[in-house]
Amino acid sequence: MSAATGGTAYDHAWVMAEAEKLTAAGATVPRRGRDPVNQPMINNWLEAMGNTNPRFTAGEAPPSMAQVWTMKGLNPPSELFDPLHAMMGKLTEAGFTGVLGTNCTQHYDRTLKVGEEVAVTTELESVVGPKATGVGEGYFVTSRNVWRVDGEQVATMTFRVLKFKPAPRKPVAEPAETPFVLHPIRDRDTEFFWDGTSVGELRIQTCESCGVLRHPPGPTCPSCLELARGYVVASGRGTVFSYVVHRHPPIPGHELPIVLALVDLEEGVRMVATVDGIAPERLEIGMPVEVGFRRIDDTLTLPVWRPVGGISVVEDAEPSVVEDAESSVVEEAEEPGHFETTPEPGQLLPIWGLHITPTLVVSTALATRDFQDVHHDAELARSYGSRDIFVNILTTNGLVERYVTDHLGHDVQVRSIAIRLGAPAYPGDELTFSGTVASVEGDTVVIDVVGTVSRDEEDGALSIASHVTGQVTIEIESGDPS
Amino acid sequence: MSGLSGRAAIAGIGATEFSKESGRSELRLSVEAIKAALTDCGLTPADVDGLVTFTMDTSSEIAVARELGIGELRFFSRINYGGGAACGTVQQAAMAVATGVADVVVVYRGFNERSGQRFGQTAVWASAQVNTNGLDNAWTYPHGLTTPAATVAMQARRYMHEYGATSEDFGRVAVADRRHAATNPAAFFHGKPITLEDHQASRMIADPLHLLDCCQESDGAVALVVTSAERARDLAQPPAYVVAAAQGCAPDQFVMTSYYRDDIGVPEMGVVGRELWRQSGLGPADVATAVLYDHFTPYVLMQLEELGFCGRGEGPGFVADGGIELGGHLPVNTHGGQLGEAYIHGMNGIAEAVRQVRGTSVNQVIGVDGAGGPSGTTNALVTAGTGVPTSGLILGRTPRAGG
Repeated sequence: MSAATGGTAYDHAWVMAEAEKLTAAGATVPRRGRDPVNQPMINNWLEAMGNTNPRFTAGEAPPSMAQVWTMKGLNPPSELFDPLHAMMGKLTEAGFTGVLGTNCTQHYDRTLKVGEEVAVTTELESVVGPKATGVGEGYFVTSRNVWRVDGEQVATMTFRVLKFKPAPRKPVAEPAETPFVLHPIRDRDTEFFWDGTSVGELRIQTCESCGVLRHPPGPTCPSCLELARGYVVASGRGTVFSYVVHRHPPIPGHELPIVLALVDLEEGVRMVATVDGIAPERLEIGMPVEVGFRRIDDTLTLPVWRPVGGISVVEDAEPSVVEDAESSVVEEAEEPGHFETTPEPGQLLPIWGLHITPTLVVSTALATRDFQDVHHDAELARSYGSRDIFVNILTTNGLVERYVTDHLGHDVQVRSIAIRLGAPAYPGDELTFSGTVASVEGDTVVIDVVGTVSRDEEDGALSIASHVTGQVTIEIESGDPS
Repeated sequence: MSGLSGRAAIAGIGATEFSKESGRSELRLSVEAIKAALTDCGLTPADVDGLVTFTMDTSSEIAVARELGIGELRFFSRINYGGGAACGTVQQAAMAVATGVADVVVVYRGFNERSGQRFGQTAVWASAQVNTNGLDNAWTYPHGLTTPAATVAMQARRYMHEYGATSEDFGRVAVADRRHAATNPAAFFHGKPITLEDHQASRMIADPLHLLDCCQESDGAVALVVTSAERARDLAQPPAYVVAAAQGCAPDQFVMTSYYRDDIGVPEMGVVGRELWRQSGLGPADVATAVLYDHFTPYVLMQLEELGFCGRGEGPGFVADGGIELGGHLPVNTHGGQLGEAYIHGMNGIAEAVRQVRGTSVNQVIGVDGAGGPSGTTNALVTAGTGVPTSGLILGRTPRAGG
């Protein structure tokens, strides 16, 4: 008994016909922001993002704030037509109820100035699908925004979302298959090493008699056969002797690929650990690294290698507040504001770690005038199946901008930020940014940026996922040509 | 020449089929292989008074003896360190028969390594064992460095850096193995040769190792009958004399993770090689064909160097232009190796060396006109697991050097 209903058939043809109509409609009429570019909103944004660039207290607006000026606010007038939202509504009607931001590329023609009135136009660029994706079958909807001041284009954005039919959840894995980090066997001879990692020390066995250092440790000194041992705390600095990018099969407690390096420490011993914060293809033998520590659970903290320049902190179960994470970055980072040397392809930016708190999620969402409930109302967010409230896309953009300009100089001009979005960043997560200079052409420098989120799961496992990957294009000697 | 050289021989060989799912117990596989090996040389279980296997084997000597109705055992022993045990089991047997401790010793290895516990996966037990091996693994396993492929890849990457070796150089080993397997009906990859392009296109497992750099995972068993040289001459098959049998480990030795030496590599195979040459009075030029343990291709290059077939860093040149294929200067793994025939922890390679000495290999080298090297030698060299404490054999058609 499968008689066709008399109503609309919400099939692919219908979706594409609706898409065709909305695409053909072209760009909307310009819509002005509620307020002109103004210092109080900039100040709120700077405070929430932790951005200390002095240019933005002297009349310029941060480039990645472009979208903020025309956000529709808490109570958008219902008559406002927006082809992106119209298309999303059609797809919801057709059963594609889920939504996921996937890509966002913003170009900045120039910096906005306090007092300027910004207007936006939006058009639907394309609807592509249906595609089978990890979250379910769906359509990729791409829209394009253009921001203008008195008719002059100042910024653009291509934004892509996936509208999908949520796939039925996979059955929960058997407990035996739950990922976990294999814990080391330890005994009287090796305990000191693991005691050390738990307090943020990389300890190397030393012979109390002849002073020879040794790793891995053992009960004797193989050089003089004396049994009296002590340890020294390593500087944590070393160079890559060899490395592996493990892609198959899956390993308990780790996300693939696993980047592993055998490192010659400057004290003269060699040690294995994973490498954090670097794209596998950037790793090479001889590269300097330094140690960091990853807490797995109450009994285990593992050393990890990081490209030199990163911060070395114990990621504790009760992490320090945001301000602490920031201050350690400021101490470690080269003084922002100017370039000492011309960047070179392959050059690494220092690692920047940020602890995500509910306050950070909410304050940045509001400072970017994004009032979607998933960014401030935990109960509602959970009712939608989310773990918690999560960082909004405008904030990810803002943090990417801050990461690059904090490390490459406050006087560089950000020309574009193109990001691909991955796992959400929830309160409790550590958001860790790493960057590599991808290319240098004249004054134009392109930086690959990766932001990963890591968190301690309740069962003691550490989960790590990509939150954002992308490219930031900057000009290093511009200033604003105005 | 040592007191062991030429005193013992491998008289019989036996094996099950090699598969991905045997459908039988590991004990049964070993029993089947032992029955075949005894039949091969015309002996019966009643003749057997010694059994040797790997420490890792799940079938004890007494369980095997019960199944085969073997009454009394006078000698039983096991060798540790995974595949490094392979030739060591034969050394144990040879020493036992050479000294009169036993008359007929059977060495065996049987497992469902594909359908049962797969070695290519993380061995959780290996990191949880409360002994020094478990303590050793504490320095790698928690970080996610657990699989044999990844531990070898760490060495392979450094080898590439030091000597300019490339993934293609590793691939030439796989191409040679698969060429030989293609003509071996017992090989899992019978009739399926590969090209270097296939190797390069195969997916990355543990960069720089591709899938086709890694041996198979297999179910099966192999058994060998070892007896004195004198007795072997009276049996059904021509003896494969144990011209030399050696074990080796090197300073600062670990299992798969000997990463803390100044110069990493497989110096333990150098220890084995020097002992093989010392016992036999032979040298690399006296070897017609070799079965080099090939769980992962990079270690074949390093073994060629450690054994003196070429100089340090010259492995890539040695395997170029079909150097280790049939017709090359040293045909290697004429049965197809563990990449092509099956992964039976090196024991199927010893059986192939026996066939080469007998003249019954499907890719015969020894004794073939124009083959077997310029000296017309009749010796085959076999190695066991690499990256671990290991072992090696020289088997010959004549009991003493110069044969």
